[in-house]
Amino acid sequence: MIALRALSKNKFKSLLIFLSITIAVSAIFLISSISQGVIGMYSNMIKTDGDIIITQKGISDTFFSNVDINIRKQIDNYEDTKSSYAVIVGASPVGKIPIAGIYGVTKNHLNHYKLVKGKYPKEGQVILGENIAKQIHTRSVKIGNKRYKISGIFSSEIGFEEGGVVMNIKDAGKLFNRSSSFILVSSKNPNKTDELQEKISSLSEDIEVKTTQSFVDEYNQFKIIENSSLVISSLAYLMGLMGIASVMSMIINSRKEEFGIMRALGKSRLFIIKNIFYESVIMSIAAYTFALLLSISILEIIPHIETLQGYVNGSIDTNMAFYVFISTISMALAGSILPAYIASKTDPIILINQGCS
Amino acid sequence: MIKLNNISHFYVQNEQVLHDVSLAIDTGEFLFLSGESGSGKSTLLSILSTLLKPSKGELILDGINVKDIKNIDSFRSDNIGFVFQFHFLINYLNVYENIALAAKESYKKDINSLLQTLGILELSKRYPNEISGGQRQRVALARSLINKPKIIFADEPTGSLDSKNSTLVYELLKTASDAGTTVVVASHDLSIEKYATKTIKMYDGKIL
Repeated sequence: MIALRALSKNKFKSLLIFLSITIAVSAIFLISSISQGVIGMYSNMIKTDGDIIITQKGISDTFFSNVDINIRKQIDNYEDTKSSYAVIVGASPVGKIPIAGIYGVTKNHLNHYKLVKGKYPKEGQVILGENIAKQIHTRSVKIGNKRYKISGIFSSEIGFEEGGVVMNIKDAGKLFNRSSSFILVSSKNPNKTDELQEKISSLSEDIEVKTTQSFVDEYNQFKIIENSSLVISSLAYLMGLMGIASVMSMIINSRKEEFGIMRALGKSRLFIIKNIFYESVIMSIAAYTFALLLSISILEIIPHIETLQGYVNGSIDTNMAFYVFISTISMALAGSILPAYIASKTDPIILINQGCS
Repeated sequence: MIKLNNISHFYVQNEQVLHDVSLAIDTGEFLFLSGESGSGKSTLLSILSTLLKPSKGELILDGINVKDIKNIDSFRSDNIGFVFQFHFLINYLNVYENIALAAKESYKKDINSLLQTLGILELSKRYPNEISGGQRQRVALARSLINKPKIIFADEPTGSLDSKNSTLVYELLKTASDAGTTVVVASHDLSIEKYATKTIKMYDGKIL
């Protein structure tokens, strides 16, 4: 195949294109998977044990939401309520660790955290996620201005929780000066979730009640993360495209004689364009494969980096791999359009002019 | 039969390189275009070989006005072979592949016998940088002959060769001409004259 031979003969320049595509594609993979990972972790935290979420009206971020925990009593009395629990989410320095997630939860939710060591916390006590526990080797830990006894260590599949600290909601209330960030309610009958939602909404004008699914779908922070990810991925795509276009232009320029001779031999412009596209597609498939393996390796390593406390996490699913593959091919083809057009326009007369007598 | 009718050419305005040139070349003729540098012979060769469109006048090849040819690439591939001063072989293709690139499907089977005729069959797997200048030019000649073109245009085909290799190239071109192929060679080298059936001397864009 002519395209393969051409690539192997122009090793250095081919390597430059390979690197351009690899860096761009790896960036797209990592940005997309990590942002999806962040969204996934937080969504899972919210969706795990509840059908309905109650937050403070008009507050778009759960970190700043304050919901009166006492409405739980009324909610629990509803016929369709299976259970409810309240959570305070916050962040604070924990011992020497500059920032970590703090989760204050009601007693009935403590069993959500799977103990691997010790006991669930009472007032004045905390349990640590396995990730953060690797960095804390004392029996107690200072959070805010208060010292808490470490009563146990838990594991969780959610990276945010693994890198955080769980405490009694009363302690968290004092620490962050709020009643609860949100309340999650499980319904006995999934078909009557709407009715339950309406009843809860009528309890207070200060609350916003949504199904956890619609909350996750509409959550502003997720939209910000998704849009930021899209912008950064688009920039990576454009940079990859520019890299391909500029190196391809260099290659085309250094191969003018080759295209001139093809034209003199009667090869059509389409033949030249097709061959340059083949070269780009071959490069992009090779670079994509390498970038995919590189990204998977990086994503495997990231959760084991203690300083990241498990907050950075991500995985590449088939859908993402497919869309990035299509993007890679389109990037390679788009980056080659102009160089291929220029190459196909090579006038074979240059072959005579070079030896002009 | 090649016919040039009142061909003039300007590369830029007011810089005329060919002045009203008319010429007829018979089928199977070996035409030698001679002249000093800047005399216009390369421009004339470029026009004859359809690589350059003349500013004025018409070129008739085998009774067809070149202006009326819709697919000039295909026409070139079917009818014309080129030999340039520099071999212009594609450096990442071996000798066989360089010729195969130019060959039409029906002529690919003839590559080895052509290489045999030109005495370079044993080089078929070698790359251009692995053979001598004379051998490269023979490969370039093989590439120009593979589709059995009606016309071969050669621009200073021996410009980068020693006398021994030059003689070999001329003899190969002469053999092609004797077999009925029209050969047009533009060169400074006057030793080619003995192979030519017709010689045209150019001066200042005109045929003397």
